[in-house]
Amino acid sequence: MALDLLNKQTVQVVDGSNLSWQDAIRKASQPLIDNGTVGNDYVDSMIDVVEEKGPYINIGPNIALAHARPSSSCKKIGLALMKTNHVVNLTDDKHPVTLWFVLAATDSNSHLGVIQKLSEVLMNGENVQRLLRATTVEEILKVFK
Amino acid sequence: MKFEALCQSGLGSSFMVQMNIQNLLKQENVKEDIQVDHSDIGSATPDQADYFFLDPTLETSAGNLPKDRLIILNSLVDPNELKEKVNAILDKEGIEHS
Repeated sequence: MALDLLNKQTVQVVDGSNLSWQDAIRKASQPLIDNGTVGNDYVDSMIDVVEEKGPYINIGPNIALAHARPSSSCKKIGLALMKTNHVVNLTDDKHPVTLWFVLAATDSNSHLGVIQKLSEVLMNGENVQRLLRATTVEEILKVFK
Repeated sequence: MKFEALCQSGLGSSFMVQMNIQNLLKQENVKEDIQVDHSDIGSATPDQADYFFLDPTLETSAGNLPKDRLIILNSLVDPNELKEKVNAILDKEGIEHS
């Protein structure tokens, strides 16, 4: 299923107390750079778009879904998740985030299955609570099983 | 009747909202034909839909859209908030739902 994109390689749990929101997006994206899904350009554009347009990627309480328009540096569909044990403010303290999803899209449609599955998981409050409480990668992966 | 979910890029969160609205309309047994679509806020025009769903960070960019047809969602993944706001529209428009 589409959420197989989240696995031991793409999910991380970190302390986060010393991260800026830009650092958090970079760190959350690193597995997608390592596995050849996206290039650094894509990560830069995800950060640029928040700097220009504001924290709209804060899709729910403590949840961010970083993404940018598909670009040539985006080679395939990808999803990664980093949980920070400390809150990192996305641009300001009205947008505290601990769950940092990163979505890589290659065109306007091919990633929709991933969004659909992700949305099903996040629309369930119990799942969100489990993710917010999780302190290990294994606990996070169980929520998406 | 047409609902349009808007986000900054028209790629991720707006599609999430579109799907969640579609699921909700099914749950609410809405028989009326309501189209739900998604797009980016930059290309949205007032005649594109009857109601526009967006998050609070986009409100200032929605200046060309009529305020009384903007529905602000504080969380895009809160089923209760969505239900409350969609049902309010259905009631206002006299559309039957459960």
